[in-house]
Amino acid sequence: MAAAALEGLRILDLSGAMGNYAGKMFGDMGADVILVEPPGGSELRREPPFIGDVAGPERSLSFAYQNTSKRGICLDLDTASGQHILREIAATADLVIESFPPGWMAARGIGHAALAARRPSIVTTSITPFGQDGPYAQFAATDLVGLALGGLLYIGGYRDAAPTQAHGDQAFKCAAMYGAVAAMLAVTEAELSGEGQHVDVAMQECVTLALENSAQGYDLEGAVRLRPPGDQRFAGYGLFPCKDGYIYLGSRGIGTSPAWARTLQWLKDDGMEGVQRLFRPEWSDTAWLKTVEARDTFADLFIPWAMRHTKAWLYEEGQKRLIPLAPVSTPADLLDNPQLAARGHFVPFVHPLVATAARMPGAPYVLSRTPWRTQRRAPLLGEHTAEVLAEIGITKEDVARLCAAGIAA
Amino acid sequence: MSAGKKLPLEGLRVADFCWIGAGSYTTKVLGDMGADVIKIESSARLDSLRLAGPYTDGKAGVNRSGYFADRNSSKRGITVDMKHPRALEVIGRLVAQSDIVANNFAAGVMDKFGLGYEDVRRMRPDVIYLAMSMQGAEGPQRDFRGTGSSIAALTGIQDLSGLPGRIPAGTGTNYPDHLPNPTHAAFAVLAALRHRRRTGEGQYIDFAQTEPMLALLGPTFLDLTVNGRLQQRRGNVHPWAAPHGVYPCAGEDRWIAITVMDDAQWAALVRVMGSPEWTTDEKLATMPERYRAREELDRRLAAWTATQDAQALMRALQAEGVPAGAVQDARDVTRDDPQLRHRGHWVRLPHAEMGETIYNNLPFRFARTPVAPHRPAPLLGEHTREVLADMLGFSESEVAGFEAEGVLK
Repeated sequence: MAAAALEGLRILDLSGAMGNYAGKMFGDMGADVILVEPPGGSELRREPPFIGDVAGPERSLSFAYQNTSKRGICLDLDTASGQHILREIAATADLVIESFPPGWMAARGIGHAALAARRPSIVTTSITPFGQDGPYAQFAATDLVGLALGGLLYIGGYRDAAPTQAHGDQAFKCAAMYGAVAAMLAVTEAELSGEGQHVDVAMQECVTLALENSAQGYDLEGAVRLRPPGDQRFAGYGLFPCKDGYIYLGSRGIGTSPAWARTLQWLKDDGMEGVQRLFRPEWSDTAWLKTVEARDTFADLFIPWAMRHTKAWLYEEGQKRLIPLAPVSTPADLLDNPQLAARGHFVPFVHPLVATAARMPGAPYVLSRTPWRTQRRAPLLGEHTAEVLAEIGITKEDVARLCAAGIAA
Repeated sequence: MSAGKKLPLEGLRVADFCWIGAGSYTTKVLGDMGADVIKIESSARLDSLRLAGPYTDGKAGVNRSGYFADRNSSKRGITVDMKHPRALEVIGRLVAQSDIVANNFAAGVMDKFGLGYEDVRRMRPDVIYLAMSMQGAEGPQRDFRGTGSSIAALTGIQDLSGLPGRIPAGTGTNYPDHLPNPTHAAFAVLAALRHRRRTGEGQYIDFAQTEPMLALLGPTFLDLTVNGRLQQRRGNVHPWAAPHGVYPCAGEDRWIAITVMDDAQWAALVRVMGSPEWTTDEKLATMPERYRAREELDRRLAAWTATQDAQALMRALQAEGVPAGAVQDARDVTRDDPQLRHRGHWVRLPHAEMGETIYNNLPFRFARTPVAPHRPAPLLGEHTREVLADMLGFSESEVAGFEAEGVLK
């Protein structure tokens, strides 16, 4: 088997909820990623869901998922010895990923300049809510605040209610995903030039990349994009309930588009009650399809028919007729999805406290020569402290002394 | 070796068959970071984003879409009708000079063009071939079609986001198109490039546009496979913190996100509220108690925020350390936000037909390497002659011949 794509890269992941997924992306592609936690453990260890719903440092599934393929050490970076050890490890590393408040690392003598003095090729990627400087640099942020200030929250939800968040801490994920891309670009440049640099990633700015066309909508047409008006953007295009959930129907609603004609034919072939109404001339007129009357009429006819069928059946039959219809999948549906199963998407989740077989999402991409692979489960607290410190020449006895002093764990 | 301001991907060429959403945002990253991206289009089958608003001055036109422009900065554009029998005479030369060949067609389309991975490998043995189909290259549903909306529905983000008891709201956008797929695809390409630098080998990247979104929902899946809990829509309710939500402010459709994550932040919020009597209730003293009382807390808080300016309230809360953010709309983020302005997030580029319009910069800054889109989106076919003559070495009469036969449509 070929070497993994990122084999030979050594990475220190000092981050938490905003950056751990970035470290995972490197680790799952073969880098040696060392998670550096404070002696009490990363804050992510305190985030649910927990194994068996019982909190505990080794029980967070959020932590366990975002830290696969990493080794873990615990160091108190508020102590001079902890800072010294970090500089020593960083002298062997290619990349540091961190998400402390701006200035936190430099104040402890472990900022990029200090690390680069020992290792000119090192890249330091700082992932923060708003970036290293500027008027909001010291603002406090959670995921919801990131969604709000980045502009995505405003367009999510229902027009008649307060905006609602995206599931799964997506503002943090936006920061982590672009953090990984930015870090990889800087590592690429450093491998070519021999010189690393500091990379400044801002969650707020990452979220603005998710605004679809709404920034341009204001810039070009002066229009502020609102939350969607309802279930259908226009007749025949949107979400509809069915027997066991919801489907997305993308018949586009444009009279002349092939998907619309195919949808009508399908409804006719299946004997949908009242289908003749949809063959009247006004249904070829895009302007009509946007009216409330058209949307209501379509819903009144289509929903009773859809309610007789399951998501899976509608998906299968609609696709046979080349209609862009998709189920609104739940996580349970996805675990059973035949296409994902054929790709082997879900992979075993291994954890010392989980006795039964469990699965988690696997490869987000399939590379023919250098496949994605989980190198190891997430580290237990301090699991590799002795091993990693030994690699920089610290003896077992000294590690024991550091642990006794609370500097390592 | 002295590192200059050379962009990380300078010297690399991309034959870019991507269109519409996720693919074009992936190759934007490559182009903005220095790769010579040649976008291959055809007036016989337009990139549908050219036909999607917003448009400059609200007037439709193939060279006027802001949605298209934002996704296609830093690229040159040529037109070749891939269904023309002589198309490969042109494209073969381009592919032979390309380090990366990228597409986001349905599985099988590139093969019909004579540009499947094995075909392209014969033209360029060390090519990195990125194929971003919706379902992946193989499997029982590989031919199931869809767009960004289908992918949001199919991957669970739609089902999980929104209010309980109402139709799933999702993010209000085709979220997987905007960050999950472009960032993961760019990361995979950068990893493959590193492997090529080390070994000389190219490879094939089978990218299913469903999988990155799932990879971002790991803890949600683990809650199901480990704990048996199927997560549901929960609005803005946090798993353990309260108050945590979106509250109305003065003005039409104005809101603020307020998130109180510990006792100190609660005390700070109470101070900013002017310590009203109800906040002294002993039943609100600890986080678990506040969480139990969250519905009443939300009502009280909403009554207090409703008359206040969202931006002023955000500043007042942030000054006391409470994570809060005005829910910003497209106007706020593009025109008013001082932090995005400080970072130079919105870049204005001059375009022959659109004039000066805004583009998203990439959401990170390097200390040494400039990060900015450096070229506006191409007009349809703008660089056809330039690329064919200067890069591919066709003579003027050969180009005229292709034109006369309709190859360059």
